[in-house]
Amino acid sequence: MANETTNNRKALLVTPEACIGCRACQVACKSWNQLPGIKTTNQGTYQNPPDLASAALNIIRYSEVPSQENPVRWLFVSRRCMHCEDAGCMTVCPSGALYRTPEGAVAYDRDKCIGCKLCVTACPFDVPRYDADGKVTKCHLCVDRIGAAMQPACVKTCPTGALKFGDRNDLISTAKKDGFTTIYGEKDLSGLGTIYAFKDEPQLYGMKQNPSIPSSVVFWHTYLKPLSLFGLGGVVAAAAIHYLAIGPHKEKEEEKEV
Amino acid sequence: MAEMVRKSSVDEIVNHWILAGSCFLLMITGYAFLFHIDAISNVFGGYNSMKNVHNWGGVVFIISLLYSIRHYLIDALHYDADDVQWFKVAGGYLSHKVTVPPMGKYNPGQKLYYLAILGAGIAIALSGLAIWLLKDNAALLLISHLVHNVSFSIFVIAVPVHIYLGTFANPGTFQLMVSGTLSLESAKKRYPKWMKAAGKM
Amino acid sequence: MTNHWIDLKNSDVILAMGGNPASNHPISMKWIMRAREKGAKLICVDPRFSQTAAKADLYAPLRSGTDIAFLGGMIRYILENDLYFKDYLVNYSNAAFLVNPDFKGPADLDGLFSGYNPDTKKYDKASWAFQKDENGIALKDVSLQDPNCVFQLLKKQYARYTPEKVVNITGTPMDKLMEVYKLYSSTGKPNRVGTECYAMGWTQHTIGTQNIRAMTIIQMLLGNMGMPGGGINALRGESNVQGSTDYGILFHILPGYNPVPNAALVDLATYNEKNTPTTKEPGSVNWWSNRPKYVASYLKAVYGTAATKENDFGYSWMPKLDVGMNASWLMIFDKMYKGEFDGFFAWGQNPACSGANSNKTREAMTKLKWLVNVNLFDNETASFWRGPGMNPKDIQTEVFMLPCCSSMEKEGSITNSGRWGQWRYKAIEPQGGSLPDAEIINELFFKVKELYQKEGGAFPDPIVNLSWEYGERDASGKIKHIDTHAIAKEINGYYLEDVYDTKVDPPELIGKKGDLVPSFAFLQADGSTSSGNWLYCNSYVLKDGKPVNMMARRGKEDPTGLGLYSGWSWAWPVNRRIIYNRASVDLQGKPWDPNRALIAWNPTKPAPKGKTGGWDGDVPDGGAPPMASSGKLPFIMKADGIASVFGPGLAEGPFPEHYEALECPVEKNSMSGQRINPTIKIFGDKMDAFASCDMRFPFVGTTYRVSEHWQTGCMTRHCSWLLEMQPQNFVEMSTELAKELKLENGETVVVSSARGKVKAVALVSERFKPFKIADSTVHQVGLPWHFGWQFPEDGSGYDSANLLTPNVGDANTMIPESKAFMVNVQKA
Repeated sequence: MANETTNNRKALLVTPEACIGCRACQVACKSWNQLPGIKTTNQGTYQNPPDLASAALNIIRYSEVPSQENPVRWLFVSRRCMHCEDAGCMTVCPSGALYRTPEGAVAYDRDKCIGCKLCVTACPFDVPRYDADGKVTKCHLCVDRIGAAMQPACVKTCPTGALKFGDRNDLISTAKKDGFTTIYGEKDLSGLGTIYAFKDEPQLYGMKQNPSIPSSVVFWHTYLKPLSLFGLGGVVAAAAIHYLAIGPHKEKEEEKEV
Repeated sequence: MAEMVRKSSVDEIVNHWILAGSCFLLMITGYAFLFHIDAISNVFGGYNSMKNVHNWGGVVFIISLLYSIRHYLIDALHYDADDVQWFKVAGGYLSHKVTVPPMGKYNPGQKLYYLAILGAGIAIALSGLAIWLLKDNAALLLISHLVHNVSFSIFVIAVPVHIYLGTFANPGTFQLMVSGTLSLESAKKRYPKWMKAAGKM
Repeated sequence: MTNHWIDLKNSDVILAMGGNPASNHPISMKWIMRAREKGAKLICVDPRFSQTAAKADLYAPLRSGTDIAFLGGMIRYILENDLYFKDYLVNYSNAAFLVNPDFKGPADLDGLFSGYNPDTKKYDKASWAFQKDENGIALKDVSLQDPNCVFQLLKKQYARYTPEKVVNITGTPMDKLMEVYKLYSSTGKPNRVGTECYAMGWTQHTIGTQNIRAMTIIQMLLGNMGMPGGGINALRGESNVQGSTDYGILFHILPGYNPVPNAALVDLATYNEKNTPTTKEPGSVNWWSNRPKYVASYLKAVYGTAATKENDFGYSWMPKLDVGMNASWLMIFDKMYKGEFDGFFAWGQNPACSGANSNKTREAMTKLKWLVNVNLFDNETASFWRGPGMNPKDIQTEVFMLPCCSSMEKEGSITNSGRWGQWRYKAIEPQGGSLPDAEIINELFFKVKELYQKEGGAFPDPIVNLSWEYGERDASGKIKHIDTHAIAKEINGYYLEDVYDTKVDPPELIGKKGDLVPSFAFLQADGSTSSGNWLYCNSYVLKDGKPVNMMARRGKEDPTGLGLYSGWSWAWPVNRRIIYNRASVDLQGKPWDPNRALIAWNPTKPAPKGKTGGWDGDVPDGGAPPMASSGKLPFIMKADGIASVFGPGLAEGPFPEHYEALECPVEKNSMSGQRINPTIKIFGDKMDAFASCDMRFPFVGTTYRVSEHWQTGCMTRHCSWLLEMQPQNFVEMSTELAKELKLENGETVVVSSARGKVKAVALVSERFKPFKIADSTVHQVGLPWHFGWQFPEDGSGYDSANLLTPNVGDANTMIPESKAFMVNVQKA
C-alpha cells in the first residue's frame, strides 16, 4: 500500500520535550479551519476537549508520570491524525474522499465523503471524527496551506518548535542528530507522516505500541477486493469456455435452466 | 397452437426482474464504491447520491428477496434420489452424453442456488443495514463490512453464472422470465416429474 | 525587563521564580528553549509543579510568600563561598560604601531596622544614610572589610539565613535548595551569566518590592546586570503593561516616571528642587538631573501655547496629590466603599473580578451615583448591580456602557516587556458601534470642554487649556478624527523655537522650530521643546527631512549575533536594547565576556569633530569613554551612578528581610519576632477581614493565570475556542490534601477565605505537594482568577478567585497580596 510520495514526503515532527503545553496549536487549528468552540467542562485535568472531536482536530494530551527527581513528570503530547503511509482510512474509504496529497498528508474531500464511518473502524489511532453534517473531519496538515508552500497553522504558531513541518527524511535525521533516540512512526505502518522524537520509551508518552490496521481490513483489502474482481472475470471466462467447449443444451435433450 | 404451460406466475416474473434490477444496480454501485470508479458515481450525481441509490436500492432488493421466498423456498428445501443422481452427473453440464435423471419444477442446482442467493442476500442485507444505520458501533461496522464484502463476492460470482445458465447455456429459458410459459411439449421434456404431479403426464 | 525577550537565549542559567513563563509568557520559552539547546539550565522555583517546572532542569518548591527567605539564603551562600564577582561589585555597586554607624539591622533589632516608629508604622531613615566626606562624597572601603560597609552589613544580615532556617520557612527540600544555590551562583564568573524571570508571583505580596530587591542584590553580587543574558526581567502580564506604566497609568507617576506633584510643591521650581537628585560622586551621570527639562517639555506637550514661562508652563493646572496621599487601587476602592466618589470610569478593566477582595469592590460600586464601563463587552463590573448577592432595587448607580473596539480595530503602538515600542496597524474596521478609545476620549473632551466654557465651573483651566492638535477640525473646532501619528509625534516632541547650543561661540543651531526632537538629550527646560514622554523622545524622528516612525521599523539585521535586532521597532531609551549595558564591560571598556560582547570601546572608531574613540554594539548608556579614562559610572539612572546593594529608598528597609504574608499558616516568623511587614497599611472595615493561623482557613491559597485566558477573562471567556480549553474555575491541590478532605478529582468544591467564597472544580494531582514547615505539614492550593459570574451566561464558569484575596498591599506599591493568603476547601 506504500505509494510513490515516499521520497519527497513531508512530515510533521512532534517533540514533546519542547512542548510547553500552551495549546496555541489547538487555537491556531480552530482559527485556520474555522471550527466552532465546543461546550466543555473541566474534568479534573488541563486536557480539554478530552479527546479529538469534529471541531478539535488536534489536542494536547496532558499526562503525569512518576519521576525520580521531581514530584511528578508532566508530559504534553500533541495528538492528531498520524498521516500513515499505510492509511487504513484511505484503504477502506468507499468514495475516495480520503486521499493522499502530493506532500504525503492524508486529506479528505468533504464533498465526496458519504459519512459511512468505515475510516473510523480502520484507523489504528482512533482519529477520524464526524461533524454535525455527518462528514469526516480530522487533521489534514492544513492541506490548503502546505499546498501553497506554507506551514500548517499549528506549526506556524508553535512558539518552541515542538511542532515542526518539513521534509520527512530531514526531520528524522535532524532529530536523531539532536540526540533523540526514538523516532516514533519512522517505520510503523510503512512510516507515519506525524512522527515523534523521544528520548524515552514512547509508551511513557502514551504512544501506541506497534500500531496496525485491523486484520479484517487487511484481509478484505488483500483478498476480498481482488476476489470480487477476479471472481467476476473468472465466471465470465468460464462461461465463455463452457459455451465453446461443451456448448449449450441441445433441443431434444432435457432442458435445464438455472 | 400448441398447449402452453405456465411455469412462472406474473408476480414471480415481476418480482424476479425487480430483484435482478436492484441487484444489478447494487453491484454496479458496489463496484464503484469498492474501486472509487468516478465514472459510475458521476452517473448517479456523485458518491453521496450514489450512496442513497445504493441504500434504497438495497431496501428494494431486500423486499424483493423476501417476497421471492413464497415462490421458491418450499421447493428449494425438498430433495429426492434423482437430485442426488443429478449431482453425480453434474446436471449434464460437463458432457451432453451422460443421462440426466428426470427433474421436477426445479433441479437441485437451482434449488441450492436459490438458497445460496437467499442466504448471501440476507447476509448482505443485514450487514448493509448495519453499515447504514448502526455505523457508530465500530466493532459491528467492522464485521458488517467484512460480511457485506464476502457476500458481495458470492454475488458477483453467482449472478453471472445464473445469467449464463439462464441465457446462452440453456436456450429458451430466458423466455420463462418474460412470458412465464412454455409449450406442454417442452415442459414434459424438461420437468417430467412436475408435469406428472400436475397430472399432465 | 532590563533586557528583552530574545536576550533570554544568551543566558547560562535562567531562574524562573515568581512567574510561570511557559504558561503565561509562551514566547519567552521560545528563547529559553534556545538557551537550553546551547546548554543553559532552567531553574523553576514555584509552589506547584507548573508547566515551566515541567520543562526545567531543576525544580524546587517553596511555600507562597517565602521568596525572601529563599533568596536571602542564596545571598548567604554566595557570600560564604566567595562566589561573587568582586571587580564588578566593587566598581559598579555601593557594596564598598560606608553606612552611618548608627544603622542597625534585623540581626540587631529582631527583624526591624533602626528608626522604626510603631505608631506611624514608618521608618525614620536618618540612620540609613551613607557616611560622606567634607565634599559630600560617600566614604568607601574597596577592601570591603569595614564593619560599616554595605558588604559587611549585607553579610551580617544574611548570615542568619542558614539553609536549615530557610527550609523551615520555605518548605523546600534541602537538597533542592542547595542545588539551586549552587547552580545559580555559578553565574558569578565573568564568562557566565544568569537571568531572572518574574511576574506577579513576586510582586503581589506585602513584601513584593523587596522580593525583587533581593534578586537585584544577587544579580549585583554575581555581576549579571547590564549583561546580555542577564538582568532582572519582569515578564509583563499584559501585552502593553510596560507601555501603560511608561505613560503614567499609576497614580504617583507622570509619563516618563516623573513624580506626580503634591500640594506642598507649590510651583515648578519647588517641584524640580524636591524631585531632582544631586550627587557629588565624580563619575556619576545622574541622569535624573535632567528632570526639569523633561517636566517642562511634558507641560508644553500638554498645554501647548497656553503654557508659558510666566505661568510655570501650566504647572498649577496639574492635578496634585495631598502630601503623603496614596491614591492606589485599594485606596480608591476603600474610598468608594466609604461613599466618597460620585462616579467612576471603568475603562478597559473589570474591577468586579480583578480587584483583590472583590466583594468589597462590588459593594463599593453600589455607593456610586454613576459608572461608565468602557469595554468590548458587558462584564461583571457593568452588571455588578445584578450580580450574586445584589438586589437591583436597592442600587441607585446609573451604569453607562461605551463599547470600545479591540486592538485589531485601530492603529497605534504597544510597548512590550522588553521596552520595544512596536507599531501596529488596523486589521479591520471597528465592529458594531464601537470606537477606538482615543475617539471616545476625543468625544468626551470636547463635550466636557464645551460645558466648562459655557458654565465656567470650579477650575476650568486644566481642561480648556489642554493642547489637542490631533487632526483635522470641523466647523465648530472639534477634532473630527484622532490621528494616532499626531499623538506619537507629540509624545516624541518638537522644537517649539529655534534652539541653539549656547556653550559654543557663536551659538550653534541644534534644532529648527517645528522639527521633531531627535532625542531626549536635546530637550530643554525653558519651554523651547515639547515631549509628551521623554523616554519616547527618539521614537518618531526626522530622516532626510521626513518624519520616520521608528516604532514601525522592521529591520532584521543582527550584527552582534546577540539578537538585539536594533533595526526592528524601537526600544526606549534611545533604542538601547539592554539597559545599564556599560556594566557589561570592565574599566577599560572591554566586555567581561568576549563571547558576549554587547558593547566594547573601540579607540579607533571615528567620532564627531575629527576625534576618535567610540562604542561598538548596543546603544551605550551614554557615550563617555571607559571608566579607566575619565569615563562615567554605568548605572546612570541612580544618583550615585552605581547600583544599590544597599537601597535606602524603600519603606521597609535597605535590605530585604523575610516577613510572613498578612495571612499565613505560621504563628511565628522563624527569622525574627516580627511576623509581618511592619510598614503595611491594614484596612479596618468588616469587609477588610483577614484571618491568620485560623483553624477555619487552614490552607495557603494563591492565584495565577493560565495560557488560555487573559486577566479577568472578559475578552477570552467570550472566545469559545479558549473557553473550550479552560471552561471553569478550578482549584489545584495535592493528592494528600484531597485524601484528607475526601475529595475526588473533578469534583466541584467551595473555596473560602475570611472575605468570600467561590466554587471551583478540584484538580487533584501530584503537581502540588504539601510543605514541611518546621514540624508541621502545610497544604497549599491555587486558583486561576479568570472567571466571573456574568459570562458564560449559564454561570458554569463560576466566579472570580479574587473574591478570596485580601485587600492588603505592598508597603511601597500597594499592589495587593493576591499570591499568599489563607483559605478553606470544602465539598460543594
